[in-house]
This record gives sequence, structure tokens and C-alpha cells, in this order.
Amino acid sequence: MINKNEQISPFLVFFLVLKVQMGIGVLGFQRIIIKSAGNDSWIAVILAGLLFSIVIWCMLTLLNLHKQNLMGIHTQLFGKVLGGILNIIWISYWLFMGIAVYRTYVEVVQAWMFPQINVLTFSIVFALLIYYTVSGGFQVITGICFLGVIIPSYLILTIFFPLEYTDFRNLLPVWNHSYKEIALATKNMSLSYLGISTLLMYFPLIKQQKKANKWAQLANIITTLSYLLLIIVSIGFYSENQISRYVWATLSFWSIVQVPFVERFEYIGIATWVIFILPNICLFIWAATKGASVLFNVAPNKITMLYLVILIVVSLSLKNRDQINTFLNYMSYTGFYLYTVYIPILLCLSFIMKKKEVMHEN
Amino acid sequence: MKKFPFEKSNQSQTPHFDEVLQQLKESKDFTCFTVGIKHDTLCISYFNTLIDTNILHRDLLPYLNKSSSTLYDAVQALPIENLLFTQKPADVQNHLLIGYISITVEGNNDQAVLVKADSQLSRTVSLPEVEFSVIGPKESLVESLDTNLHLIRKRLPIQELKVEVLTVGKLSKSRVALLHIDGICNQKNVSTVIQRISNLDVKQIIDSSYIAQMIADKKNSPFPQFIDTERPDRLAAVLGEGKLVILVDGAPHGLLGPATLVEFFTASEDYFINWTMASFFRLVRFFAVLFSILITPIYVAILTYHYELLPKNLINTLVISRSGIPFPPILEALVLELVIELLREAGARLPTKVGQTIGIVGGIVIGTASVEAGLTSNVLLIIVALSALASFTTPVYQMGNTIRLIRFPFLFMAYYIGILGVAISFCFMLIHLLRITTLGRPYLEPLYPPKLESLKDSLIRLPLTYLSKRPASKHEE
Repeated sequence: MINKNEQISPFLVFFLVLKVQMGIGVLGFQRIIIKSAGNDSWIAVILAGLLFSIVIWCMLTLLNLHKQNLMGIHTQLFGKVLGGILNIIWISYWLFMGIAVYRTYVEVVQAWMFPQINVLTFSIVFALLIYYTVSGGFQVITGICFLGVIIPSYLILTIFFPLEYTDFRNLLPVWNHSYKEIALATKNMSLSYLGISTLLMYFPLIKQQKKANKWAQLANIITTLSYLLLIIVSIGFYSENQISRYVWATLSFWSIVQVPFVERFEYIGIATWVIFILPNICLFIWAATKGASVLFNVAPNKITMLYLVILIVVSLSLKNRDQINTFLNYMSYTGFYLYTVYIPILLCLSFIMKKKEVMHEN
Repeated sequence: MKKFPFEKSNQSQTPHFDEVLQQLKESKDFTCFTVGIKHDTLCISYFNTLIDTNILHRDLLPYLNKSSSTLYDAVQALPIENLLFTQKPADVQNHLLIGYISITVEGNNDQAVLVKADSQLSRTVSLPEVEFSVIGPKESLVESLDTNLHLIRKRLPIQELKVEVLTVGKLSKSRVALLHIDGICNQKNVSTVIQRISNLDVKQIIDSSYIAQMIADKKNSPFPQFIDTERPDRLAAVLGEGKLVILVDGAPHGLLGPATLVEFFTASEDYFINWTMASFFRLVRFFAVLFSILITPIYVAILTYHYELLPKNLINTLVISRSGIPFPPILEALVLELVIELLREAGARLPTKVGQTIGIVGGIVIGTASVEAGLTSNVLLIIVALSALASFTTPVYQMGNTIRLIRFPFLFMAYYIGILGVAISFCFMLIHLLRITTLGRPYLEPLYPPKLESLKDSLIRLPLTYLSKRPASKHEE
């Protein structure tokens, strides 16, 4: 059933996971968690990393148990009707995650580069780009994920510029926040880690699936380390009051980058970010497309087109920061519960079902 | 495709030898004369423009046995290694048309003898002109397929080198040779290429580039998918890496495939010099290509939208050079890019000596004059000239053309949303590259899918002793 040409090597899972976890969140996750956990936010980053390590383990155990993607698992466990409804929930989740990433990026562009940008025409151009990628199939998406990690990786060097002005004593005293505050920060941090769920769709396309776990976990560790580096530098660089006023703290780092031929480095950063978030959006749209095309038995390209129309319409209707923020919060909460509650429940259910089957056979 | 009248007659009821000869006689360069033997009359016919008359006079006529009674006996003593005996009139016609002499018996349609006597007129092997290198072999391919095969085979004296010859083109009947080394080359690629070439339904194959365009995986892509080379040493080298080589009779360029993007940036010379220099030059080439594609769009983006992107001192220089220019940056850039294209096109069409003069007139006189007249800024002039120069660094000529073309979409996108537009076009280009396959293999290999083994000879070139293993991508079946 699965075309061998469509399959990817297990180590590419590293790039797929890394790419989808580190998306738009990198630009401005600091404010959200420092709000509740202050100088202890770095603990929240680690905790969220650990939490997602468990989630990845859960997902891969679930997938290895069934040897098929989430759509198949749902139909197998809950039958056609209930399974179909659950599938639609996940499909719309992926679609709206894609839209959320895209709209956030447009907001960054509006706030930093082109306040007067025509969102409609920009979205049409971007939608064409997404369509061109998604219609190329999973290989192309994996390819752009890979390049989307490699090409922008030079940006990591920019972290050295603020180091000059950081005061790491800001980190002290350690653990001056309550458990509740740190838990809240961990929960808020999770939006930056979301996206790993696309693994549920592309899992059957991996060769030697047993090895996938290693690479996915490694990607999660790298993500956690990157966030950790960013948050520690942010805590040292900004004061707590200052950061609550910066929506895009990472972008503000770039403001102080000085190179002989570039004055405002954040422009370069934002332009590079196109290739950083494009794979992200494409992977979400691909997962949603794949799910829907199996569910409704429609040609994938038609579904992608429909999604892109939805993407343009939603992007246009979200007009200001408040609306976008509300939208992101909804997505974040839905995602958080889908990952930490729904997936473990599904795993338990399938364990029980498998046991029953085995008992039945005996 | 339109049928030609002669094809019909070819396929219909087989005509007699005499009818075939009668038809051919309509051409004035067709000669047919008779020689009497014991009982019958032999009819010797040929195209005098196709054959080497020396062979006729020296090897054929003196040795015809006039006292014999049959055709077979008459040609027995000919000092020619292989005589073709045929009973098919169509065969006679086809062979006459490629320089054979036919001997038939008048009034008898049983058998004809065909003697190979084609005149081998071709250019002698000369220096490579397009891919000249200071170090290394100095032979280049010529228009004759047999000479080209000789040039390659003498470099690879092994029995595994297999040559497949196909005939393509209804009018040109071009011989297309497909070379590969058994055991190294992927057999699937060989059969794919044979399949694609034999499926071609065309009138004429004038050059190997016809084949390259028609059998490519993605025909609408501006990126070439076969490397076009005139160096037999390069062809022999890649045959050893498991690639296919296609040679066409009448084309002084061979094709090699499947070719990936990075191979278009490798020159033969890279292997003749020390690896440190080779790697450095390769990196320079990649940088030059990126520079060539991106620099003019970035200029347009910065001067249209992001003045603040540049430091104060640099922007001063730019603003001073642009003060008094009546056009927006995009128009200025487009005009200058088009002028460069104009110069290149004029230079390419004119004879070499005139071309040089035009280059000087165009480059120096028009360039300086337009800056002095205040039509373009001298900074942009430098940028455009540099990027044109950079696009010529690619060792494969066709890749240079591609680079010059894809610069224009970048320019328009830069005009639309500045540096963001450049980034979006760059993404479009990357995805396009990811979507291209050459004979089913990813075009971006070994960059993506990453192959460490083949990376040794891609953006950089490691010492030859490390390269002794074939790149991993090639021996996979």
C-alpha cells in the first residue's frame, strides 16, 4: 500500500520533529512563561521538555502497537462513526495549527517590517508556496524540513551578541516561585513544543520504525536545549518588567546584533524565518490533507486547495493582536489536552483492546 | 505526427530491387551502372556523394570476378571484410542511404550484396573550447559518433563497457549511442533511458541537446537534468561512477546522467589540482551562484523598502550614487539586467572577433556613459556586472543560462515585498529543486536526502584517495 519511494530514512524523523516543534514559538515564548514563573522559567522549559519526551514515547508506543496512522487507529478502536468524528477533530486541529503558525508569522511581519502589508495578496502568494510544497508529496515536505533546519541554523550564532550585556545573576535566587506558578508556566510553555502530533500521520512512511523513537527523542532534547539557551539568555538580558512588554523577545535580541554591513539584523532574521516556518505549516497542512483525503476519499490536491482558502479567510478575519492571541490560546489549550490527556487515554484503551484480543484468541 | 509519403511506400507491399533503384535514380547524385558477367548483368549502384569512391575503384571493381556465373561467386574475391547479403529491397534502400554500395543482378530479385563504402569525412579531434582546462587532457568530442566512441573506449579498455545504439528521428535517422559500464551502472536507469529514447516520436535529432530536453524527468523545469560535456575524459570518468552517457551522431557534445545539482558545479579541472584548491574553487563557485541570483534582488529590496537595513555609512554611499536617477530601483535594475542580457546575446551571435569589440563597446562605453548621463547608479552597475560575471563561473554552460533566468522572478518578488519576497522566491526555488528528479533520483542529492559518502565530492572535494569508493548514491540498485 505504501509506495517505497515515499518512505524516508529514520534519521530524517529528527528533522521532522525538530522542525515542527521549533516554529514560531521561538520568536516570543519568553514573555508567556516569565509572566508566571519569573527567573525560574528555565525550570518550566525543562519540565515541558520532559513532558513532551513522555508524550513522544506514548505516541510511538501507540503507533508501534498498531502499525498504522492515527486515522487507522481511530477507526480500528472506535468504529467508523465515532472514529470518523475523532478524526475530524484531529484534522481540524492540524489545519488550525497550520493557520495559527501562518497568522502569527504574518503578525510578526506586520509588527516589524510592513505595517501596511496587504494580508490578502501576501496570503495568496504564501498559499501558492504551500500548495507547491504540499502537492509535491511527503518527500518534498521532509526535504524542506531538513533544509528548514540546516539553512536557518546560522541564526544560532546571533545568541552571542546579547551575551555581552547579560547578567546571569538575574537567575538567582533559584526556586523562588511556587509549584503552582511553575506548573502554570510549564503548561504555557507547551504551545512552543506542540506540533509533534504530525508524527501520528507520517509514522507509516518511516523505514525501520523501531529507530524512530531514538531520533524523535533526540530532536526533543535539542529543542529543549535551544529553548533553554534562549530563556537563560533572555532572563539574563532583560529585566522581568521589561520582558513583559516584549511580545517577540527573540526578535528584540536581533535588534542589538551589529555587523559591518547590516544595521537591522531582525529584517534578515524575519526573512530567514520564512524557510523556518514554511515546513511547519506545510507539515500541518499535509497531515490534515492526508487525513481528510482518506476519510472522505477525495483527491488530496483538492483538499489542500480548500484548506488554503480557509487559511486565507481565517488569516483575514483575525485582525488584531487580541484576536490572534485568543486564537493562539485556544489552540494551545486544545493542543495541551490532546497531547497530555487524549493520547495517554488512547494508549491505555489500545492496550486494553489488545489484551482482550489476545485473551479472545486464547 | 505527420506521415511522410516515403514511409507509406516503405511499409506497403515490398517492391522489387529494380523499383527501389528506379526510385533512387530520381536523385541526381545516385549512380547506377552495369557490369556484365558470364550470363547476367550486375547492377552496381550507390550514392556518389555518400561513398568513398576510392573503395569502389581500389577494392571493388578490380576484384569482381567477371567469369563467374552467379552473384555469389562474383563477389567472393572482394578484399572487404564483411559483405551483407540481403533479400529485402527495404534493406537495400536503407543501406544505400547510409553509404553502402549495392550489387544486384538485373532482372533477378533473389539477392543483393551490400558493401560498406561510406566516406568518413569528419573534423579531426581538437582542443575543447567550451570546457577548456589548463591542466589535463586536451581532446574534445567531434561530430562523428565512431570517433567519439573511440575516444571513450580507449580510456576504458574493459569488456564491461557496453554500447547500445538506437536510431531516432524519421528524417534524420540519427544514431544515438548509450554507454554504460555493466555492474556499476543501475540497470533500471539503462532500461528507462532506452525506453524513453525509443519512444521519441520526432522528425530530426540535430544535436544531443534534443535528447536531453526530450527525455528529462521534468521537462518544464529551467534546470538542466543532463550534463552536457565535450570532454571525453569527463565522460569516461563518470562512466566509472555508474552514470550513463548518451552520444548522438553529429553532436560534438555527450550527455551524462542522472546528474544532480552539485555536479553542475564541478569542473574536470577540479580533479586535476590539489584537493584544497579544488574545494576552495568549488565553494567560490557556489558562492558566486548565490551571489549572482540574490544580489540584484537584494539591492532592489533594500532601496525600495528597507533603507534602515544598512548601516549609515553604507547607505550614504548608495544614496549618493542614486541621487538624481529618475527611475525607481526595480526599473533601474531591470533595464541594466536586460542590457547585460542584450550584450551576452549579441556577443553569442556575432563572430568571435566582432563579439569582443561589442563586449568592450557595450560594457565599458555604454556602462560609463549611462552612469555619467545619470540613468543608472554606478553601484548597481557594479552589482549587475559582478552578478553577470558570477553566473559565468558555472562549468556547465546550461546552468549559467538557468541562473540568469531565475534571477528575474526574484527581482519582481523583491519589488513586491522586499527582502521577504527574496526569501519567498528562494523557498520556491528550493521546493522546485526538491521536486525535480533525474531518472527517478532526487536532484538535490547528496544534500537532500543527505548522503555522507557522496558529500565527500560535492560542495568540496576531498583527496582522491578518499574518493576511491564510488559515491554511495550510484551503486544502489
